Amino acid sequence: MNTLRARQLVEAGLLLRLSGDIPGAEKLFVRALELDPANARARQLLTPGGGSTAPVNIAAPDMEGDWGAWADASSPGPAEPLPESVNLPEGTGTPGDALDLIAEAHRTQEFGLPESYAGMGPLPQGSEVECLLKGAEDLLTLDDHSGAVDLLRRAQSLAPEDPRVEALRDRSERILVAMLEARLGDLDRMPRVRLQPDDIIWLNLDHRAGFVLAQIDGAVSFDDLFALSGMSRLDTARILAQLLDEGIIAPGGSPVSTRGG
Amino acid sequence: MAESGPLIGIDLGTTNSLVATVQDGQPLIIKNRTGAPLTPSVVAVSKNGKRLVGGIAKRQAITNPQETVSAAKRLIGRKFSSHPVQDAMRALTYQVVCGAHDDVRIRLAGRDLAVPEVSAMILAELKADAEAHFGRPVTQAVITVPAYFNDGQRQATKDAGRIAGLEVLRIINEPTAAALAYGFGRTVNGKIAVLDLGGGTFDVSVLEINNGIFDVVATGGDTFLGGEDWDHRIIEWMVFGFAKEHGIDLRKDRMALQRLKDAAEKAKVELSSVKETQVHLPFICTPPGGGAALHLQATLTREKLEDLTADLGERLVGITSEVLGEAKVRPSELKEVILVGGMSRMPRIVEQVRQYFRREPCKGVHAEEVVALGAAIQAHALVAQESELLLLDVTPQSMGVAIAGGYVRRLIPRNTTVPTSATEVFATSKDFQRTVKIMVLQGEHELAHHNELLGEFLLTGLREAPRGQVEIEVTFDINAEGIVSVSARDRDTGLRQSITVTASSGLTEDELRRIMEEQRDWLVTARASEELKTRRVELDILARDLVDALSRVRLLPGAGGLSPDVVARAEQALDHARQVRGGEDVGALTRACEALSQSLPQLRAASPRGTPGR
Repeated sequence: MNTLRARQLVEAGLLLRLSGDIPGAEKLFVRALELDPANARARQLLTPGGGSTAPVNIAAPDMEGDWGAWADASSPGPAEPLPESVNLPEGTGTPGDALDLIAEAHRTQEFGLPESYAGMGPLPQGSEVECLLKGAEDLLTLDDHSGAVDLLRRAQSLAPEDPRVEALRDRSERILVAMLEARLGDLDRMPRVRLQPDDIIWLNLDHRAGFVLAQIDGAVSFDDLFALSGMSRLDTARILAQLLDEGIIAPGGSPVSTRGG
Repeated sequence: MAESGPLIGIDLGTTNSLVATVQDGQPLIIKNRTGAPLTPSVVAVSKNGKRLVGGIAKRQAITNPQETVSAAKRLIGRKFSSHPVQDAMRALTYQVVCGAHDDVRIRLAGRDLAVPEVSAMILAELKADAEAHFGRPVTQAVITVPAYFNDGQRQATKDAGRIAGLEVLRIINEPTAAALAYGFGRTVNGKIAVLDLGGGTFDVSVLEINNGIFDVVATGGDTFLGGEDWDHRIIEWMVFGFAKEHGIDLRKDRMALQRLKDAAEKAKVELSSVKETQVHLPFICTPPGGGAALHLQATLTREKLEDLTADLGERLVGITSEVLGEAKVRPSELKEVILVGGMSRMPRIVEQVRQYFRREPCKGVHAEEVVALGAAIQAHALVAQESELLLLDVTPQSMGVAIAGGYVRRLIPRNTTVPTSATEVFATSKDFQRTVKIMVLQGEHELAHHNELLGEFLLTGLREAPRGQVEIEVTFDINAEGIVSVSARDRDTGLRQSITVTASSGLTEDELRRIMEEQRDWLVTARASEELKTRRVELDILARDLVDALSRVRLLPGAGGLSPDVVARAEQALDHARQVRGGEDVGALTRACEALSQSLPQLRAASPRGTPGR
């Protein structure tokens, strides 16, 4: 069973890698090796430059709510068969085990699951969705909520009606948003750009991050940026956290009074 | 009038609005809470459900077009079925529906709002800015409207003020306010022209000032020509330049388009004071095949901008010439020419005006601030009772009745001071006519159907006689509140019928009260929600700190010397925090924060040596 699960993780890791989440992918490969030390593919993928199957897109991962013409054209399609594609037999995997771990690890941030979640049956096994779900669960146990959400989004694009995928995604996103917002701190603070325009062009950002960065002028708060980004809260929080982490923006001060209604 | 709180003047514009006051005898613009003098007249509900007003709403207008309302002024006080509304709808990105009284409703976040409700959100924002400036409540204002606004549009603007919690002391014409700001009530006797080029409209007015009385002699313009047209030309220039270089059409990407629009406006403003400007938009788009995002970098010169917009400048001159021609006023007759609106800072426009009028247009007051300053001066004069600056309440448009042949007979000319009364005798137009229909009209056009129908009634039981022999006396009465009573009396029989017309914004009094109550409720809820949000953030931060501290304590030998009670209490506080976080009870959240705050220093006192540190 560990062998199968390891192979699922490798496949999910490859998907993450293709979507640009290299650290997330590496975590899954490590996890796969832990479960199945004989998994040569995982070992190969962990070596520098190992198993590279496609040029890695350095832009931000696939984001929801992006109606940009180019983003649509560049988003990864689901049809490409992966080198390590596997079909799992019925009844494998232990759905729900990782959820318990997460519930324990994040009980201060996670405030209730959708009621509809508890009574759901297991997914049909052996599908790509199943692989993605497993990968997401494992990433969640490793506290990689960002990578998990990417996999769950992909799973949802393949199985949009699946309530389990939706519930796990919803939950993971809420946790991830809470974590990212915690990194931003007080959302009433008005961030400012730390770099000069000449330095900004050398950064490695995609157009969505560029858009958010262009809105930061020291007069709008983090909360305002969520409103004017036109993206989902998660995508905006992700970009802002990235800009903050990379030292491109500074959190700034709080406004004297709040604006608008 | 009793001495009251601070007074403000508001220029409620189609694209931008301003608020001003008079302090220590000097009129001044009150900056908004972002430090800008102009507040965009834009209202939105963001994708996360937050109500946005002003600059922040404008900045997401392109990325959230269906839920962003701009240029509501084009719709205020108008009938849904009217031509101006039907015309305006073609350019709107948000949904407009017909109300119960053929009034206009704007669909915003699933709710149908009356136009005064939307305008009230902008007024409330300006009111809040003024309150932040004064540090106390502001409840009275003078608001400006275009000279061509009819009674319904003026009433709707007043209603918007009421919804926003303002007592509207007076509605005054924008060109009149501009003239007041220049002190022309005192210094000029004669005709002046006011050219107001705003963000979305171009209004030309000719005023006749006579001993402090301002008479609007002519008004006209183009309600779809303004600064945004100049912005669009710059956007096109940037888009085509980028397409040439990279083969990508930026207009297809809303994020890119929003940035282009912001950059175009900025470049246009800068080019009024410098000869060239840099447009720098890093990471404007990601190429279709992926890869590194592209930057847009360009230099725009004033000369190029003038070249791109030459036809727009010519249109301004053409429209001005047309309005003056209709009013039979020669440019040389004018004592002064005032330029209003930020666009009139553009050197090319100033030059064109100078060439056309053969005189230097008035300068000295910021062109975009002049109307609000005039409104503030009027508000101040109303309270200070400075009679030479006091504008009288006048009828904005002529009133009369429809007569045979589809024409209008005017009984009350425009700019008549109210209260007023006028009577005229009419005769039957047909032989043996038993009934006459009195149609009360407002407007300046000679043909009845081009005027606004305020109301109509029948006078029946007339004596049967050849045409012209039955005389009907029609009387118009307008009281100080602007309520119009029209009566018709058969002079032979004494039979009488009448109608009372009150300017209507399209909202009934009951609807207005309901909206005002909703607005109050919303304000209360918004404040509570703000408080709730703040507490949750505080709770999250404390909870995370406590989890970290607990993890550390659990790793220490002997729990760092802490008594089991301390750890248990901290865990209990965390459990409690989890329970109350999702709720709406601010008090419970505050108590949970207090409990976490109390536990935190105790846990942090844990010592690696096993005895609590200090």
